[in-house]
Amino acid sequence: MARRLLAVLTALLLVAAACNDDDGIDIGDPDDTEAEGVLIAAISGEPDRFDPHLTTAYPSFQVLENVYDTLVQPGDDLTMEEALATDWEVSDDNLTWTFTLREGVTWHNGRAFVADDVVYSYERIMDEEFGAANAFRFESIESVSAPDDGTVVIELTRPTPNLLANIGAFKGMAIVPEEIVEDGTIDTEPVGTGPFRFVEQRPDGEIVLERNPDYWGGDVALEGVRFRPIPDATVAMTNLERGEVHWTDSVPPQQISALEGRDDIVVESVSGGDYWYMAMNIEREPFGDVDFRRAVSFALDREAITEAALFEAATPNQTAIPEDSFFHFDYAPFEYDRDQAMELLEGTGIGDDFSMDLMVTNEFPETVTAAQVIADQLSEVGIDVQIRELDFAQWLDEQGEGNFDSFLLGWIGNIDPDDFYYAQHHSEGGFNFHGYSNPQVDELLDRARAETDDDTRKELYDEAVKMIVDEVSYLYLYNPDVVHAWVPEVSGYEVRADSAIRFENVSLSG
Amino acid sequence: MTDVALPPHRSRTRDVLGVLSKNRLAIVGLVVLLLLGVVALFGEWLAPHSPTRTNIPNRLEPPSLTHPFGTDELGRDILSRVLVAARVSLQVGFIAVGLSLAVGVTIGLVAGYYGRFVDTALMRFMDMVFAFPAILLAIAILAVLGPGIRNAMIAIGIVYTPIFARVTRGSVLSVREEDYVRASRSVGASGPRIIVRHVLPNVMGPIIVQTSLSLAFAILSEAALSFLGLGVQPPDPAWGRMLAEARGFVRVAWWMGVFPGLAIVVTVMAFNLLGDGLRDALDPRQKSVIESRGHLL
Repeated sequence: MARRLLAVLTALLLVAAACNDDDGIDIGDPDDTEAEGVLIAAISGEPDRFDPHLTTAYPSFQVLENVYDTLVQPGDDLTMEEALATDWEVSDDNLTWTFTLREGVTWHNGRAFVADDVVYSYERIMDEEFGAANAFRFESIESVSAPDDGTVVIELTRPTPNLLANIGAFKGMAIVPEEIVEDGTIDTEPVGTGPFRFVEQRPDGEIVLERNPDYWGGDVALEGVRFRPIPDATVAMTNLERGEVHWTDSVPPQQISALEGRDDIVVESVSGGDYWYMAMNIEREPFGDVDFRRAVSFALDREAITEAALFEAATPNQTAIPEDSFFHFDYAPFEYDRDQAMELLEGTGIGDDFSMDLMVTNEFPETVTAAQVIADQLSEVGIDVQIRELDFAQWLDEQGEGNFDSFLLGWIGNIDPDDFYYAQHHSEGGFNFHGYSNPQVDELLDRARAETDDDTRKELYDEAVKMIVDEVSYLYLYNPDVVHAWVPEVSGYEVRADSAIRFENVSLSG
Repeated sequence: MTDVALPPHRSRTRDVLGVLSKNRLAIVGLVVLLLLGVVALFGEWLAPHSPTRTNIPNRLEPPSLTHPFGTDELGRDILSRVLVAARVSLQVGFIAVGLSLAVGVTIGLVAGYYGRFVDTALMRFMDMVFAFPAILLAIAILAVLGPGIRNAMIAIGIVYTPIFARVTRGSVLSVREEDYVRASRSVGASGPRIIVRHVLPNVMGPIIVQTSLSLAFAILSEAALSFLGLGVQPPDPAWGRMLAEARGFVRVAWWMGVFPGLAIVVTVMAFNLLGDGLRDALDPRQKSVIESRGHLL
């Protein structure tokens, strides 16, 4: 009897569990009628938060790009153009920048935009206790002031030729209104001055924006945008083919060539400013030995790694800045050469059973793919590579604690050469987790960031980059293309090299 | 002391094997498992190519004579990867189930035999573990221990422990009231001795069946964990991981997913067929069937 009862109870429990499962499955919202003129965009992840000064997540910026503005912003060719500021002047000593603000701009809550908003936002970012993700970009700013409602003055501690990129490269330096910080809603209901107003984030993760009728940049054609998080690129693409979404930035690289021949889907790509790299922990042996790092660099076939990770949608590069940039430095000293690698390894005194780990994250599957090719190629020169695949939060912890032999990752959305090299390779750099330190490089990077003449500046960077590459501070792999796809009903969309997604000039037909 | 349970036990084993040998599906399962065992032991020698050697120009080749199962996105031979991955799957299956078998059966025996407070404490704890959805619990355990094959075995082992505890305890409850147990107790045999000598041999049937079925589930769990990137670490092959990698290539290279998928299906099916056959043969309620069939032999 007891057994019988147990069986019945178990069965009931199972039924209950099964019912719960059913409740938990999200089958979507069948009543979800889609308003005309509302663009549905599939993005690869869910924003972690909406405070532009605190988030570092790309999905957050995909949304915020359309809600907030910066004082200046990158134009189509990534030179800095006017946005909330219409004009700026630099003093003769290059230490004072005076910005004239756009007139007649209002916040999404109806209040007029004034210079004090800029001062408030910048002081918020610069506040050390606040811990803004991009505080380092304001490091040369002495003070920000507003002599009147339409003027902002920035005083610098040293000439900063890339100040415009520092304060306007992306929405991490957005101008925010004080009231939503005070009432604590900035992380959940952002209020900006951009082309779209934030409406809500629905329980299923979808983010709803509506047109800002008072947008300073002119009429916005779309009635609204819905950002739908779809983590799997194949699923996003299927949704696009079925017309359930209009646009996506997750295009599986292996499908690009097949998609390009179709007339029901538009695929466009531009070579982007992102780069992917491998870093070895210089504070550990034998990675501190420059010969070991050079050996690894010689042992890798970048062409094969690039093709493995992204098929045709990337270009191998031995430096960080891509080819079509003014600051590109054509320097590729490492020809794939196994013998040279073996020779260099001989001198490092590593044993036959040497093994190193390579930390990757499933957040960026291309690192997992590339790591397997790297492991295979390094096994050819007698280096055993153990791949450690972690989730990104754990990955970042390990990186922060220096608990790794080597890792793979990328940098997204850099514009100025200072973005590409300073934080990563300067001894004091905030992202120099691998422990690279070269006083000459430090000095060159310091000088270059204060140099106002572009040609001289490029020379300084070239000199620094030569050392960075020769000493394999980062082992640069490739620059991926920025590839987006949409349905033909979408017009006016441009793929941008900085991966920013702007829907202000987009319209939807049919 | 004469072991009264012994003679019928022996003949019953023969009966069980007799019934099992008449069950064609169970025999099929057994044969498949034996083959898998060979593959697991000698997979590296049977594999025509290296399972981890990449060859980018040769990527995504459809099945051919050189690569009967085709190649994957890094140009690796899928047949070789499927063969080598058999070891991982079976290894994880056997060790994980071995773990839950050892722990679960011990808990079940102790709880069932001693009853009262011991029973309540142990079994409520098992209920607690059992209340979590299996795969969720395994993921949580791996989040604490870190990913990797060893930790995957521990996680799966923990997840399946309560099932063995329950099955064992249920059988012990009826066996402990049998005359031969009472007799032992009355002549002063110690608890552990009775459990090992008299209770355990008589509750083996359900445990054996549960073991076979759990192996199937454990292999599925390993595949699920590897699919999520928590099990075997790349570039080592595992069926679940191969499926995960194939996901993005369904349109361009169906062979990447189909063959590891088939491997999982065949293995799990084999364990289930054998488990069903064993259940038919060992279930006490089937005893009359055994006897009647025994007469027909």
